[in-house]
Amino acid sequence: MTRFLGLLSLVIALLGLSQTAEAVNRGGKMVYARYADSLFLDPVLNDANVDIWILTNLYDTLLQPTADGKGVNPGLATDYKVADDGLTFTLTMRKGIKFSDGSPITVDDVKWSLDRAKNPKEGIWNFILESVDTVETKGDDTVILHLKHPDPTLAAGLATFNTGIMPGKLVDAAPGATPDDKAKAFAEHPVGSGPFMFDSWQRGTQMVIKRNPYYWQMGEDGKPLPYLDEVDFPVIPDDATRILKLQAGEVDGAELIPYARVGELKNDPNLDMELYPSTKVTFLTMNVRPKMKDGSDNPLANVQVRQALNYAIDKAALIKIVTYDVGKPVISFMSSATPLVSGDGPAYPYDVAKAKDLLQKSGLQNIEVSCLALAGSADDTAILSTIQQMWAQVGVKLNIEQVDNATRTARYRAGDFQMRTSLWTDDIADPSEITSYFAYFPNIESLHGGWQDKTVDKLYEDGQKETDAAKRADMYKQIQKTYMDAAPIVFLYESPYPVALRKNVKGFVQIPLGNNIFSGAYIEK
Amino acid sequence: MSLNYVIVRLLQILPTFFLIMIVCFVLVRLLPGDPTSALLGIKATDADVARANANLGLDQPIPVQFLYFIRNFFRGDLGDSIVLKVSVLSLIVQRLPVTLFLTALAGLFAVILAVPLAVLAALRRDSGVDTAIRTSFQVGLSMPVFYIGIVLLTFFAARLHWFPVGGFGATFGEDIYHLFLPAVTLALSLSAVLMRNLRNSIIEVLTAEYVDFARAKGLRSRLVLFRHVLRNALIPTVALFGLNIGTLLGGAVITETVFAIPGVGRLLIDSIYGRDYPVIQGLTLALALLVSLIFLITDMVQASLDPRIGRR
Repeated sequence: MTRFLGLLSLVIALLGLSQTAEAVNRGGKMVYARYADSLFLDPVLNDANVDIWILTNLYDTLLQPTADGKGVNPGLATDYKVADDGLTFTLTMRKGIKFSDGSPITVDDVKWSLDRAKNPKEGIWNFILESVDTVETKGDDTVILHLKHPDPTLAAGLATFNTGIMPGKLVDAAPGATPDDKAKAFAEHPVGSGPFMFDSWQRGTQMVIKRNPYYWQMGEDGKPLPYLDEVDFPVIPDDATRILKLQAGEVDGAELIPYARVGELKNDPNLDMELYPSTKVTFLTMNVRPKMKDGSDNPLANVQVRQALNYAIDKAALIKIVTYDVGKPVISFMSSATPLVSGDGPAYPYDVAKAKDLLQKSGLQNIEVSCLALAGSADDTAILSTIQQMWAQVGVKLNIEQVDNATRTARYRAGDFQMRTSLWTDDIADPSEITSYFAYFPNIESLHGGWQDKTVDKLYEDGQKETDAAKRADMYKQIQKTYMDAAPIVFLYESPYPVALRKNVKGFVQIPLGNNIFSGAYIEK
Repeated sequence: MSLNYVIVRLLQILPTFFLIMIVCFVLVRLLPGDPTSALLGIKATDADVARANANLGLDQPIPVQFLYFIRNFFRGDLGDSIVLKVSVLSLIVQRLPVTLFLTALAGLFAVILAVPLAVLAALRRDSGVDTAIRTSFQVGLSMPVFYIGIVLLTFFAARLHWFPVGGFGATFGEDIYHLFLPAVTLALSLSAVLMRNLRNSIIEVLTAEYVDFARAKGLRSRLVLFRHVLRNALIPTVALFGLNIGTLLGGAVITETVFAIPGVGRLLIDSIYGRDYPVIQGLTLALALLVSLIFLITDMVQASLDPRIGRR
């Protein structure tokens, strides 16, 4: 009897196993329609999200971000250890890892890539490895980072795109007089360590990446990832056309679905309208300097005025009007998906009476303020025209200045603005990046707005060296509280990444950092 | 039309060309903002921007930059795109033929649509047919290009699957297939303008003395129509067509966006937004050359229709 039961359970178990093995469908091609084309596929020298969000499919990192974007998993390195004094960070490399051309990934490649990534003269992301003094290799499988000071952000940094491991010898052998020229030439036909390898790229039209047969990570079925043979990225800038293509079945997925269409696509039986949690926050940057660039007095220098402007906005209504209820209120200047986020509830709940009261106390009533908006952006128009009406109720007149992106950026850098519409997504799974841009004056003068709080500056600097997690969390709690009370920005909302996929697409995810992860994606039969 | 005339016309393009080069060069640099600020976005520090500008030679005074540009131009080097990091020449070679193909197809459709219907409307002047033709063209003219494009895409591509939803093909045949709807979209407003002009022109010519004479000679009406009426009526319309080529190229920008076609229209707009100076300069020069050549060809066609033109 027991033998029969044993055999029966074995048969059932085997059946169960084969069921799960069939769940994932290997092979085939996925077509993912993008809003804009990538510009430059180099982990260190790239500038924009259109590059970052694709790069991690081509270049693997030593550690990988977790699906919720808050922690790290092993990647090309299986393990890491931090010394007690926090000044040595030792990584153990995985065995048998190879580039997409079959050549082995060596510790020399790791050293080459990290040395390049931390070079202050290369690219704009070197701050991620600022604490690394030297990179030492030991034997075949150990890489030791010697740090200038303890760095609690390093693990997250090593899971960030700019530390992707590149084949140093191949890049050095590429044609070109300078390292930048070589990098440019190499980026035309990159060889990387990620789940996919570069196949072809017609700029502005389509990029094709194909399965990397040497990728190390295993799938559910015990065979190496990725499941897909190929991913095509056609570039369809027009939102309506992109969605039409998806509905017609010509593409399997489309990114950046306008908020206004989310409801409609949710009701489409052939589609999955995904709203991936993101680190994206929308806000208005304020110039808080006492005088504007033209010498006139700036009412926004007064904290009560700034708080009043925040109280005067009905965020729920704004979220409804602009994002069709896809977004949600923020509790801090950072998104709810950023590690160490903290706050006492939604920022500045709608309170017209309080707003009027604060304006009266400040002595600055019936003021006029101006805001730079991106010309042609439907979101900016919606946000600012709504806010214009809300602020009119407390006697504040908002003038909207529509300019194109280059003009807006130039004026922003020069501090020649009173307010501007802004967006932010994190690039690293750590609060230090957003804090260094928003609140830490020495970096870019707090979003070029001029806000400075010396206590916050010190807390940030200490936080960069504090390895005790609890202490660090507390530092960031203090930073966020001070920032909230000082209101150097107008807090608006955070919103997810809206991606629509055909129902038979499984396993795709866009993590909160924005990276599009295709390694686990497959198309169901 | 003498060979001399053609050569003189070609030579006349050169000073225009040079002037355009200078104006374009100075004009884009007068715009607020610069390429690196636009490219690097809000996360770059001032040091990053300064370094990038130095790498690109953008920290030099404008006259110096212009001299470099001229020197490289005569070496056949239009520079590299600041945003896309590939050579401007390769971008033009890749993308300009697509726009030209689209524009040429649109021009062809416009003519195919406009000419027969203009003849019909003129011959049946003030009848129901004439009114119907004029009204439907008026409607087509009033609708914005992106609207027509989306309507055609939704109906003929997404619903009926007769055509692909935008994009571009790999072979010549595929290209025509992909460009059909966009070309129709572009052609609609131009054909309306051409149709109206040609109809009026034909009506005027029909009353001319030489037409009466031809009829009096006993020529068949179809012969009268083609050899005498149409040939003369087309002259102003051909001129109008040439002048509107610029509009066609401009309309291509929107059409290329809606239909996701990799042409220069979209590239030019993106380059202006991104302050990608080398691309803006290169494209402007290429397009200026193109438009000049088209004007020349238009003049030559007109001269072949009317031998009085082009005689000194």
